[in-house]
Amino acid sequence: MTAAQFAALSPLIALAIAAVAAMMLVPLARIEAAQAAAAAGLVAAVTLVLLRIGAPSAPLGALFTDDGIARFGVAYVCLASLGALIFLRTGHPAKEAPSLLVLVALGAATLAGAGHAATLFLGIEIISLSLIALFAYRLTRQGLEAAYKFLVMSGLASAALLLGTALIYAETGALDFTGWTGHGALAALGTALLLAGLAFKFSLAPFHMWTPDAFEAAPASAAALAGVVSKAAVALVLLRLFLTAHLPEPVWSSGLAALGVASVVVGNLLALRQPQLPRMLGYSTIAHSGYIALILASGAPRVAEAVLFYLAVYAPAMLGVLCVSAALGRAPTLYDLHGLIKRRPLEAIALSLSLLSLAGLPAAGGFIGKLYLLHVLVDRGLWTLLAITVAGASLGFYYYARFFTAPFFGHLHEEAEPLPRLDQGLIAVCVVLIILFGVAPAVLIDVVRLALP
Amino acid sequence: MALIALILLPAIGGFVAFFIAGRGERERWVTIATFALMLVLLMAIVAGAPEGRWYAKVSYPWVPSFGISLDFAMDGLSAALIAISAGLGIISVMASWSEIRTQSGLFHACLCWTVAATIGVFLSFDLLIFAFFWEAMLVPAFTLIAVWGHGDREGAALKFLIFNAVAGFGLLAAAFALASMADHMTFSAFELAEMKLSTSVQVWMLLGFSLAFLVKLSVPPFHAWLPEAHTLAPTAGSILLAGILLKTGAYGLFRFAPMLFPQGLEAVAPYGIALGAAGALYGGLVACGQNDAKRLVAYTSIAHMSIVLMGIAAGVHYAVAGAAVEMIAHSFSASALFLLIGALYERTHTRDLRQLGGLQQIAPRFAAAFALFCSALLALPGTANFVGEALVVVGIFQVNWVFALLALSTLVVSVIYATRLLKGLVFGQPRLGAPVADLTWREYGPVLAMGLATLVIGLYPQSLLALLEPAIKAALVLPQP
Repeated sequence: MTAAQFAALSPLIALAIAAVAAMMLVPLARIEAAQAAAAAGLVAAVTLVLLRIGAPSAPLGALFTDDGIARFGVAYVCLASLGALIFLRTGHPAKEAPSLLVLVALGAATLAGAGHAATLFLGIEIISLSLIALFAYRLTRQGLEAAYKFLVMSGLASAALLLGTALIYAETGALDFTGWTGHGALAALGTALLLAGLAFKFSLAPFHMWTPDAFEAAPASAAALAGVVSKAAVALVLLRLFLTAHLPEPVWSSGLAALGVASVVVGNLLALRQPQLPRMLGYSTIAHSGYIALILASGAPRVAEAVLFYLAVYAPAMLGVLCVSAALGRAPTLYDLHGLIKRRPLEAIALSLSLLSLAGLPAAGGFIGKLYLLHVLVDRGLWTLLAITVAGASLGFYYYARFFTAPFFGHLHEEAEPLPRLDQGLIAVCVVLIILFGVAPAVLIDVVRLALP
Repeated sequence: MALIALILLPAIGGFVAFFIAGRGERERWVTIATFALMLVLLMAIVAGAPEGRWYAKVSYPWVPSFGISLDFAMDGLSAALIAISAGLGIISVMASWSEIRTQSGLFHACLCWTVAATIGVFLSFDLLIFAFFWEAMLVPAFTLIAVWGHGDREGAALKFLIFNAVAGFGLLAAAFALASMADHMTFSAFELAEMKLSTSVQVWMLLGFSLAFLVKLSVPPFHAWLPEAHTLAPTAGSILLAGILLKTGAYGLFRFAPMLFPQGLEAVAPYGIALGAAGALYGGLVACGQNDAKRLVAYTSIAHMSIVLMGIAAGVHYAVAGAAVEMIAHSFSASALFLLIGALYERTHTRDLRQLGGLQQIAPRFAAAFALFCSALLALPGTANFVGEALVVVGIFQVNWVFALLALSTLVVSVIYATRLLKGLVFGQPRLGAPVADLTWREYGPVLAMGLATLVIGLYPQSLLALLEPAIKAALVLPQP
């Protein structure tokens, strides 16, 4: 292994070491030590990526790629995992949780650089297996139900993914994405199965069933891992397939478009009358996956830029809401949010602003994300998809509005403990990022451009 | 740069008000100072303006890769509307001095932010920035209604937000479609106006834009959000809604429809006039049947905004000038009435015309103010509203006498509801058991100022018309008779 190769893989190595170290510390020390090890690994990985900005791509063979998108992805998943780690501390997690969390980050980082069916499968499985344990660690009935649902569907999805890969291999004789240039029936069928497998992880309708349950029953930090980290990783895989592979165009585009439309419609409709914040978020994350799928389906010249930007504005908003939700105790409803502004103004404002961003209203980053979505759809003249997007986003205003206004009404019904300093810091960072991305999007666009080939 | 400062000033003032709120009235004074500073800045810009239509014009890149830039420009129309926004901002603070006791910091922050976003709308000539401010103003206005409103305020606020946000999304999509037709991606209205589009494309684009404008203008059948929002909002919210938020719809139509889609506007003009006439009649007739004074005034807003639509659609000089004057006149008369009714409600806890009355005997200052603004409501000569409505009717006569008769009949209806309001509140015997305290100086000052403005414009309209003339000229699209 040359120095360049080592440098390129060093973030993954740092994560792997941190995961093992956190695991080793479980019987030896208190949970704080495991958390510190996990945090150190994540910070080290981000630092190692940032040090390599502008460095030429290292040749890593067929398994990994080392381009801007991969680096962006590694930094993204590590930072998001760090956020999730911060609010993992609330709610007395199992001692193994920090190690599992780093494993999710490792799997996601693997996916971000995956250029081969083997790394794709490896990444997906690392994420899935760790997530199941994270969903279930509270050992409540609902938590077990969520984990069980995820386990069963995850198995099915992996099977579909493998079979799809096998069929594509049968036609093209290649396992790395660049070699996937088939046009026959086998490749078409394989692409469909591949999409179905990825759609499960991406919680695209109709493969979304596990999402709301997981958001409701699982700890908020696990929901953040499923909803932000693993989702972004899968989005990057889809993006890489879009950029490098030449899978049968009709199946790929219309498949993504169909999944996207279904998700926008199903996610937004089911979120409409949800009184419970995490469950609503679960459905809204389905809708957001749909928007990203529509960006990919459009095939416009700026797809990559749009996807990266969308992911970047999505993460602080989602983490902000989930962190506040975690602080309020399990599964807060509209009723629990009432009067939050009086007792805990920082959380109330962070919650409202994050939801505004998810709704895509201006001055929040989500607005520019929506602009990108509209832009690629208009660019390709996809008027039907545009109409569905507008209709879906309009529905979104309704249910987000119910939640982002709730803190301003009535009185707080239950007194909750004040947030620890670190959580407050995380919330503040999320708020600053949301406003920064909304008011000066050019900054983020420059960062995103840096990552593009 | 000064134009950007004009937007930033209230935005920052809002934050300051939010953070220093606490004991005392600091946040109120900060808010008033912010708006006063804005007025000073505005005057400085106008005084130092070069010759020509634009007092100031700037352009900075914002998101260059999308062709979005901070294109701001100010002419007489923008300047007048901004002055009104800042003035009504001050008046809103004074009107809510005793009404708002809870979370005063957030309240004043929302006032500032609503005005900041509205000013952004009045200055933007980049369609995307325009849409940005268009949606941005909804959130603080929504909060004003939802937190400090009365009755089913949450429902009213949600209705307001959803109607306007959805329509705003239409605006956004249409702006994108328009920008994608240009040879290089740009959202600058000045550049897009140079494009040669076929009439049918123009009509479609105009419909996309108009969706947002007509919802904000609350022309039937897009008005369903307005009566509740106006009635249930706190007094300051009603003042801002009627005084400036509705004007953004009129402004958008006035500014961008003729500028970007002249042939399209010409093609749909008859439908626009008909829609306006129907809306004015509908709003007026429904207003006649209201017993809640605030609701009555809310419906008259629908009628008057429909008259503005008629004027813009008619496209001839008189009518367009009338529409511009009516926009401004309505800001004063409707806002003043909302202020007065709000003050009355604080004292009597009712707005029911059947329970009130006889104010002339017990509260003469109240009565005098009501009488003045009810005359403005029915467009009595001498008031600004008369100038606006008369010009619109004269203009429409030049286009089509059938429509002109319809427009005239709406004026008759306005006499009915204005006298009904007057009779229910001012004349007759006092029906309330308790005495009603007369207006305090904090309430009377704003009312006097608005009354003075109404009379000055009414008696000497040339002052205002000269200011607006360049904007009016630019909005003429039909062959002039």
